Amino acid sequence: MNELKTINKDKLHQLFDKLIADGNDVIAPKRKSEKVFFGKIISSSDICYDYIQTAFSAKSSVFPKCEELFSYEKNDNEIKHLDPVFSDKTTIVFGSRPCDSASFDYLKVFFLKENPDFHFAKRYDSTLLISMTCNKSDEHCFCTSVGISPSDTKGSDVSLTDLENGEFLAEIISDKGKKFVADYSSFFENKGDISQKSNKNAKVDIKFDLDKLKTKIKGSFDWDTWDKQSLACLGCGACAFACPTCTCFDIQDEASPKSGSRIRIWDTCALSLFTLHASGHNPRENQAGRWRNRVLHKFEYTDTKFDMVSCVGCGRCIKTCPASMNIINQVISIMEA
Amino acid sequence: MDNIAKNINQLIADGSVDIFIGYVKGNDNRAKAAFFNISDKVDNAIFDASCTQNLAVYLHKHEIKSFAKIGIFANYSTLRAIIQLANENQIKAEKYIIQTMNKDSQIITFANLTEVESYVQANRPAPAAAMIQKLDSLSKMDRDERWEFWSKELASCIKCYACRSACPMCYCSQCTTDCNQPQWIGVPAHGQGNFEWHIMRAMHLAGRCVACGECQRVCPMEIPLGLLNARLNIDIATNFGETAGMTLGADYALSSYKVDDKEHFIR
Ligand code: SF4
Ligand code: SF4
Ligand code: SF4
Ligand code: SF4
Repeated sequence: MNELKTINKDKLHQLFDKLIADGNDVIAPKRKSEKVFFGKIISSSDICYDYIQTAFSAKSSVFPKCEELFSYEKNDNEIKHLDPVFSDKTTIVFGSRPCDSASFDYLKVFFLKENPDFHFAKRYDSTLLISMTCNKSDEHCFCTSVGISPSDTKGSDVSLTDLENGEFLAEIISDKGKKFVADYSSFFENKGDISQKSNKNAKVDIKFDLDKLKTKIKGSFDWDTWDKQSLACLGCGACAFACPTCTCFDIQDEASPKSGSRIRIWDTCALSLFTLHASGHNPRENQAGRWRNRVLHKFEYTDTKFDMVSCVGCGRCIKTCPASMNIINQVISIMEA
Repeated sequence: MDNIAKNINQLIADGSVDIFIGYVKGNDNRAKAAFFNISDKVDNAIFDASCTQNLAVYLHKHEIKSFAKIGIFANYSTLRAIIQLANENQIKAEKYIIQTMNKDSQIITFANLTEVESYVQANRPAPAAAMIQKLDSLSKMDRDERWEFWSKELASCIKCYACRSACPMCYCSQCTTDCNQPQWIGVPAHGQGNFEWHIMRAMHLAGRCVACGECQRVCPMEIPLGLLNARLNIDIATNFGETAGMTLGADYALSSYKVDDKEHFIR
């Protein structure tokens, strides 16, 4: 059983304002115009609570769209190598949904398991995830089909549930979370009733049987469903960049004669350039192959490699796609084939 | 929608088309491009206010190009893009059966591009008031304020290239931004890289943009890209008297010149 506490909204906001005043970064849902995005807040009043899900995942807090890996300066014959400077403060990510928080478990495996990634590790270690369970869902949510649920606490440090009476139930999950709550114990109250949680949390229907899919998808590489389903796909990066578990990156050098830096940026298999060889040959020559790669990567390749299906069922790729592509329809067409 | 389905079925049955591009219901309240006779059921065909995507973008996708006879159920912007693509020698009219639905819900089959031209000229919608208002407020800003506005907006660009992918006029087999020898445009989605990318794209579409608004609609970061193109469209129309996708056979402003041009450098 996780340790339980409660915190009311005013206290929660006071806590965020204190964290900000102490120099920490607080990343929380903020409205832009129609959509709600994670962004750095300067006051607790910036937080938007009216969202089923943010348009983009919280992965940018540990894997930014663009980050300097190192830089150098050259003076006469001396070359100075400079590592990026990381703040010693904590980055608090507030309001990630269970699917998003679960994605951090995958990100950890991807970036830290075989060749630990220095930059990711630095950011991950200083990040605290205060997630929020889901009281609402929409037709594109399919967390329950991939082993996650609207009440899940996987990947979170502290998991809040909105009791819709001005109070949040707080489940303290990780050691990081325990330390945090102990440090700020005056903001929390020592009570809480876990049975209140399930009354509030959304119910999400299971859309497909994951075990069956895992078996079936293994032989699907040559099926024409990929060609048929992908004709509308425009080959952009919107789905992958919105996806909490798409981790592909490109490395770019930006240099002048006196100085330069090496930068890591998001990249994606949906773009034709991703597999283009210097010779001009492209082994993944059409969009069907690129679309297939992204879907197989989620449901087959990471399952084989890390024993983890890497789609967390957030439905963001569906909501973000300019061409109305739909990963659930693709999965169902594989199940039915 | 029965008459749309009947019409598509007819064209498929009599062998007039190998593939018919139209719309079906997509995610949320959006329509999705459909590829009848290949991947979608004709019975699901729709044509209504949700059908905003510019389908001309698929005409230069090589999976589609490989079909000999292509039918397309075009909304207004798609028709304009077709004219502009023909002007830029990107499509051969003989390959296509182009249809639309007019305000009285009648299906129109265009006999040739000249008929498409007359249709787009006769049915041109008034520019959106909100867009005009926003453009006005931008022109009233001084340079620093405008710089501030665009710095803030473009900072959030993630370089997903959805704007380019959805644009019917971005058909280059190698986009300038993907060129790395030489590297014209900074690849990372940082301040400078984003500015370079958007200035480049806006310039490439000046006088070619058919004002479908797709780039802005698809931008996952809600960047008001349409403002850039709308501004340039107005400038091109004012200075060169041209509007993309309205006149068949028109040259486009930035790729043609007149020997009696008032600017000396051109001679
Ligand atoms: S599925 Fe959609 S978002 Fe993803 S590459 Fe294709 S068009 Fe872009
Ligand atoms: S593949 Fe789509 S649904 Fe799955 S985690 Fe990524 S964005 Fe979410
Ligand atoms: S669609 Fe938006 S975020 Fe993507 S590259 Fe274009 S402007 Fe940038
Ligand atoms: S931005 Fe320019 S180079 Fe790139 S695809 Fe569009 S028109 Fe071509």
